[in-house]
Amino acid sequence: MTKRTASFALLLAAFLAAAATAAAQAPAPGPPGPPPRPAVFVDGPGLDIAFLRAEIPFVEFVPELAAARVHVVIAPAGPPGRGGFRLEFTGLREFQGDVNTLHYEPPAGAAPEEARKGLAGTLKLGLLRYAAKTPVAKDLSVKFLDQAKPTSVNDPWDFWVFSLSGNAFLMGETQYKSGSYYGSVSANRTTPALKVRTQVYYNRSDTWFDLGGGDIYESTTYGYGTYGLVVKSLGEHWSVGGYLEAESSTYSNIRLSLSAAPALEYDLFPYSESTKRQLRFLYRIGLTRVRYDEETVYFKTAETLLQESLNVAYEVVRPWGKASVQLQGSHFFHDLSKNRLELEAELEFRIWRGLSFEIDGSYTRIRDQLALSAEGASLEEILLRQRQLATGYDYSLSVGFNFSFGSTRSNVVNPRFGNGGRSISISM
Amino acid sequence: MRKIPIVLVLLALVLGLFSRAAAQEPPPPPSAGQSIDELKKTALKVFLDCDSCDLEYIKTEITFVNYVRDRLEAQVHVLISTQSTGGGGIEYTLTFIGQNDCQDAKDVQRYYSVKTDTDDDVRRGLVKALKLGLMSFVARTPISCRIAVDYTPPEKTAEARDRWKAWVFSLSGDGWFSGEESYSSRMVDGSFSANRVTPGSKLRLGLSANQQKQRYEVEDDTGGVATYTGTSSSWDASGLYVKSLGEHWSAGVFLEAESSFYSNIDLALAFAPAVEFNFFPYSQSTRRQLRALYTLSLKPMRYREETVFGKTRETLLKQELSLTLDLREKFGTISLSAEGSDYLHDLSRYRVDTFGIVNLRLYKGFSVYVLGGYSWLHNAQISLRLREPTYEELLLRLVELPMNSNHFVAVGFQFQFGSIFTNVINPRFGSSGGGGMSISIH
Repeated sequence: MTKRTASFALLLAAFLAAAATAAAQAPAPGPPGPPPRPAVFVDGPGLDIAFLRAEIPFVEFVPELAAARVHVVIAPAGPPGRGGFRLEFTGLREFQGDVNTLHYEPPAGAAPEEARKGLAGTLKLGLLRYAAKTPVAKDLSVKFLDQAKPTSVNDPWDFWVFSLSGNAFLMGETQYKSGSYYGSVSANRTTPALKVRTQVYYNRSDTWFDLGGGDIYESTTYGYGTYGLVVKSLGEHWSVGGYLEAESSTYSNIRLSLSAAPALEYDLFPYSESTKRQLRFLYRIGLTRVRYDEETVYFKTAETLLQESLNVAYEVVRPWGKASVQLQGSHFFHDLSKNRLELEAELEFRIWRGLSFEIDGSYTRIRDQLALSAEGASLEEILLRQRQLATGYDYSLSVGFNFSFGSTRSNVVNPRFGNGGRSISISM
Repeated sequence: MRKIPIVLVLLALVLGLFSRAAAQEPPPPPSAGQSIDELKKTALKVFLDCDSCDLEYIKTEITFVNYVRDRLEAQVHVLISTQSTGGGGIEYTLTFIGQNDCQDAKDVQRYYSVKTDTDDDVRRGLVKALKLGLMSFVARTPISCRIAVDYTPPEKTAEARDRWKAWVFSLSGDGWFSGEESYSSRMVDGSFSANRVTPGSKLRLGLSANQQKQRYEVEDDTGGVATYTGTSSSWDASGLYVKSLGEHWSAGVFLEAESSFYSNIDLALAFAPAVEFNFFPYSQSTRRQLRALYTLSLKPMRYREETVFGKTRETLLKQELSLTLDLREKFGTISLSAEGSDYLHDLSRYRVDTFGIVNLRLYKGFSVYVLGGYSWLHNAQISLRLREPTYEELLLRLVELPMNSNHFVAVGFQFQFGSIFTNVINPRFGSSGGGGMSISIH
């Protein structure tokens, strides 16, 4: 090694020593103790503090303002005779600047006991924001006593949402340029009983290479299409629906394909548990009329195809991590040997405290490349992945693990010199 | 072909069913549920502004509010911004901004996830913080009478002594493999880090290595099969120590050793003291930062192959100034940076890099984003290979190519109208996205 490297090593050692001393000088953590409840001083006419203590156990009611962290002033308000109150919350010390005003009015004809309870209820909700900023927060839970339908709203649009979007992505350097464009118009309606998705889209991508010596390579691929999906709910486990699609794609050698496919789905678990677990079986049968850009390897320029598919999807999210497995099989009726089998799986698993493991993979057995062009692809098209190629399978697998230990519960935020950079991901 | 008419009949039947279903909403439930559904109509309108939240889960767990898709419609705009913590977790800052008839109310709540939390732990923690924070607003709506709060005081408090003295260690490894008959690709990487972050100082040490390989089989004109293979690898060791000097200043030093096939670097070392000034106080960093960082680095270099400047090794002195602006506001996100560097032995060798992301919710339902970068280079590719790259190296982008500038830009807009409510979750037939471009920034 050279002298330079040696001096670098010396610097590194000095640096580590400096860091170590800095680490040793860090202040000791605060004194341990039970989590104190926020101290509250309530100011108001004829208040029954004992009653409030019983109703609101997560704060400590103190008899004088000097000891309080939160000051609440309750005063009669609103139309006389209705028994309404205004509650003014003021944060003190560490809650400085934390203010809020609430109103309480008992329902018409309420008994005094009911009104007293109602006022305490409003006080309780108003105090939660302070308790939430103390260690008491982890022992609190907020519950909604009813089930309200998500569609109980006044909606003049009847749940229809329309959207228009356009995107472009361009990049280049002296010898290379590329551009991708994507635009779509969609109209969707989602209610628990019915789901409607419709979309029209267009995409295009251009590539330009300067290969040196005056050689330029240029190419364009594009596609467009439209699709519609309607799904009707039949109880907690069954759904029925249909797809309508039209598409054109130079990548897939398709000038135009039109397809219609009714479908039926069964979820072994109730749909209402979908954010926690699902095991869905989706059967689909579709009729497609397709015209190709170039003659295919099966000497076709157009054909009508009938295809059926079955998709089984299992997804679960649990405190230990999450998993999803998807298996899909399909075949054409005119020739049963033209089929495809796809397996996809993903698992994120916390094995033990700081040790976690991740695996994500897919394998597809492909026997149904009906649209493959007989003409083949150029070397550039292959290397730049602009053409679908003949293959009997494709796979991808990603595995990863992470083991962390030490002060992993530290909540310190230190944004100095940046916080480890930004990551941006763009998917088309 | 006899099967086809049957399918058509089936399809017509199914579609017929839908049009009927769409025309008539299911009848209202019996009167018992009536009053709660009336209360729900006047429930708080919430706009959830969060890129990294499980929104479907939140909407199924918190049903005493109405979710809207446009910020201007909401009575409370919940802006959730994130920063990483010293322990490797994430600090979620929930800023509750009252609007319309709740204009006078605001609040800030925080939730911390730890590195060992799973997605489920995080989404449950966030829902709890959201519920507690929303209460000051929900208490203004009639539905609040149907909300209960439970408090279960702990038997004894858990002790929170840190025997690791704020050190966090992390070891990870990843592999990606993909392929088909005529193509395969493989990437593997591993890394180790040791970090110690306190309000007073920050120390990061890291070690990482990666290797990637691509293989193509191409039939040539004579019918034979030619194989094109591309391999590249790199490794990197780095250290950073930063000392806090008040609410606006910091000083520190970077150390780095790296090797890269792509950049023709056999071994590059760097020793770089640096100083930073933040125009905003560091305590506001989750919402706004404008940081200027100056770095002076001493870089002994050894190259794999002779460079265009005829060198195989040299020692460089480089200075660098960067400016970074990050804003997270109600109307959107703005993140801009500019970086300029030159070499002190030859000031004509410089480069300027700019980068920006602007994502704005301009008006009801209308949003735009622009993301882009532009770099100008003037003889700044110090490590560029003298020899011409091979054809595969060129197409597979395995080596750095000479350039004077490079750029990328992505722009897009979205205009939405119609129903403002997004309360409903309908998981049937999966959540088909239907293509499109999506950009996520963390």
